[in-house]
Amino acid sequence: MATVTFDKATRVYPGSTKPAVDGLDIDIADGEFLVLVGPSGCGKSTSLRMLAGLEDVNGGAIRIGDRDVTHLPPKDRDIAMVFQNYALYPHMSVADNMGFALKIAGVNKAEIRQKVEEAAKILDLTEYLDRKPKALSGGQRQRVAMGRAIVREPQVFLMDEPLSNLDAKLRVSTRTQIASLQRRLGITTVYVTHDQVEAMTMGDRVAVLKDGLLQQVDSPRNMYDKPANLFVAGFIGSPAMNLVEVPITDGGVKFGNSVVPVNRDALKAASDKGDRTVTVGVRPEHFDVVELNGGAAKTLSKDSADAPAGLAVSVNVVEETGADGYIYGTVEVGGETKDLVVRVSSRAVPEKGATVHVVPRPGEIHVFSSSTGERLTD
Amino acid sequence: MKDTIPTAETASRRPEPAARGGRPRRRKLTFDRVTFFLAFLGVPLAIFVIFVLIPFGQAIFWGMTDWRGFSPDYNFVGFDNFTKMFQDDIFLKALRNVALLAAFVPLVTLTLALGVAVAITLGGPSKGPVRGIRGASFYRIISFFPYVVPAIIVGLIWAQMYDPNAGLLNGVLTGLGLDQFDTFAWLGEKAAAMPAVMFVIVWGLVGFYAVLFIAAIKGVPGELYEAAKIDGAGRFRTTISITLPAIRDSVQTAYIYLGIAALDAFVYVQAMVPNGGPDNSTLTISQRLFNVAFAKQQFGYATAMGVVLAAVTLVFAALVFLVNRLTGGGEGESKRKAPGSRARRAAAKGGAR
Repeated sequence: MATVTFDKATRVYPGSTKPAVDGLDIDIADGEFLVLVGPSGCGKSTSLRMLAGLEDVNGGAIRIGDRDVTHLPPKDRDIAMVFQNYALYPHMSVADNMGFALKIAGVNKAEIRQKVEEAAKILDLTEYLDRKPKALSGGQRQRVAMGRAIVREPQVFLMDEPLSNLDAKLRVSTRTQIASLQRRLGITTVYVTHDQVEAMTMGDRVAVLKDGLLQQVDSPRNMYDKPANLFVAGFIGSPAMNLVEVPITDGGVKFGNSVVPVNRDALKAASDKGDRTVTVGVRPEHFDVVELNGGAAKTLSKDSADAPAGLAVSVNVVEETGADGYIYGTVEVGGETKDLVVRVSSRAVPEKGATVHVVPRPGEIHVFSSSTGERLTD
Repeated sequence: MKDTIPTAETASRRPEPAARGGRPRRRKLTFDRVTFFLAFLGVPLAIFVIFVLIPFGQAIFWGMTDWRGFSPDYNFVGFDNFTKMFQDDIFLKALRNVALLAAFVPLVTLTLALGVAVAITLGGPSKGPVRGIRGASFYRIISFFPYVVPAIIVGLIWAQMYDPNAGLLNGVLTGLGLDQFDTFAWLGEKAAAMPAVMFVIVWGLVGFYAVLFIAAIKGVPGELYEAAKIDGAGRFRTTISITLPAIRDSVQTAYIYLGIAALDAFVYVQAMVPNGGPDNSTLTISQRLFNVAFAKQQFGYATAMGVVLAAVTLVFAALVFLVNRLTGGGEGESKRKAPGSRARRAAAKGGAR
């Protein structure tokens, strides 16, 4: 058990001037499940491999507990890793795969066997211990890879997109299994994924990276409720948050025909930068549809009294997932058309091709600076 | 890099004939199919039959005659040539010599080649990404150099190097103060001649097999080496436990190639010790065959030796396959298909739980 610290860790690949990971600063608590998430090429895998010792560190330091492991080889770091393609040794049986590290460490055979059997029991692999990896299904291989990590009882688990080779259904169930297994073992875990749903559901905390730079580290809840910038706002959440650039007016922002009140400090911060607009982020579930008796519309002041409140959305597609309906439509803001997603009750979905008016619920909007992308409201 | 290892799923995804609807029907012989078979099966097969199988059969026949090569007359003598051969001390010596060559040359060459290949691909620092030693690409090119030199030239140059009086080797050794090598005849001493010849063959071939193994090692998913690194395996352990099993098919093929080359070894020995060495200690079957045929004009007898050499080669290849099979390689490809597919089905069920 140990904490993990990235202290301004930087990786620059040879032949490139732009760092793949740029001054990464994260403190991971003992027993914490931290998920690194971001689009491909954002440096999340590189960060994990730096922690594993499979990638050189060009600047800064990495610590596991109190030990500076920046320049230690992987075998001295007391870590275990689950690879995307599992990297099982094809010529070894499941039991040998799981016990390989212990065998190298010189643990006696009886003890290896015992530990392997314990891990196999946890992972429901007991009957497969004598099989070779190629005689296993994808899900079983994934569990063997987990088992290989578990038997070592390392200080830190590293997982590099371990679920991306599983089919959708198995991914969801394995996701829960891994998360609960980690809670049970209490071993500090760093988990890399490109899938924000995985990140949100599994992590104690989530770290979002983009272009090698850390955007935000926070609990999934806070990540969702208070994204630190436009990138995180657009990345976290599914369907993604709607981001609309709207003009600033007195006491708020002009959202179509309605004025949505916004914290004065936020508007002041924006106008201090010389911006005349701000980017407003609204999650699909935080819109009220005027035609469907949206409650928020009545509380907002309108620009012209005879026109309906809010933004006019022309509905392109309506997706019904059963519990909810999602309207995929286009709006015209400032002369540009923009796509918008609105969640509505599945009992009252508008027709395709219809035009509806939407207003955001005042307390649920996120305001970002149009020039820097930083969050302005708190 | 996302290597996809061929997995049980991808293999079993191919529908069984039954799943495609009934048993596989014989497809029509269209012009396209006929020409395809003619070009890609008929032509190679014809060449193989005319230039390989028929000569083989002929060789077995001529091996049972006393044909002298330059006249049409011959008598059929049955197995006389073969019984004579195994009472011929010189031939038995040659047989022993090629057995030694086949035992040591592949083993030493492949061990060295594997060492070079591992150093070049995986031998780098234990921290950071999996990579070769510093200057790996330089060593890779250097190690290939001897193979570029034709074998006959390798043999002739090393014959000069080994020269007792004017040779470079003795010059260097005496220069180092080892005066007992002043006029040491490397190829003229019974104990030294065979190892000296073996050394040259190994020297000439290591580079090629190093390059072969480098390619094989690079064909293995890098994650495997990384996993071994994280599991705490050092370079030696990784080589024995991970790399060698992963490239064992390449090693087996190389072993057979090299065995055949060592059983022949004609060019090297003929260039260095054309007379068979002291007390015939480096005489090979091919050399003996050559002398019997072209110096003694006993073509029938020489052909019989060729047949024996072919048989020895086959036995060698069979031994290599057997050893590989006994040590757990090459399994599950054909023999264990049925239980394998059953296992996969059970596995699929287990995975869905």
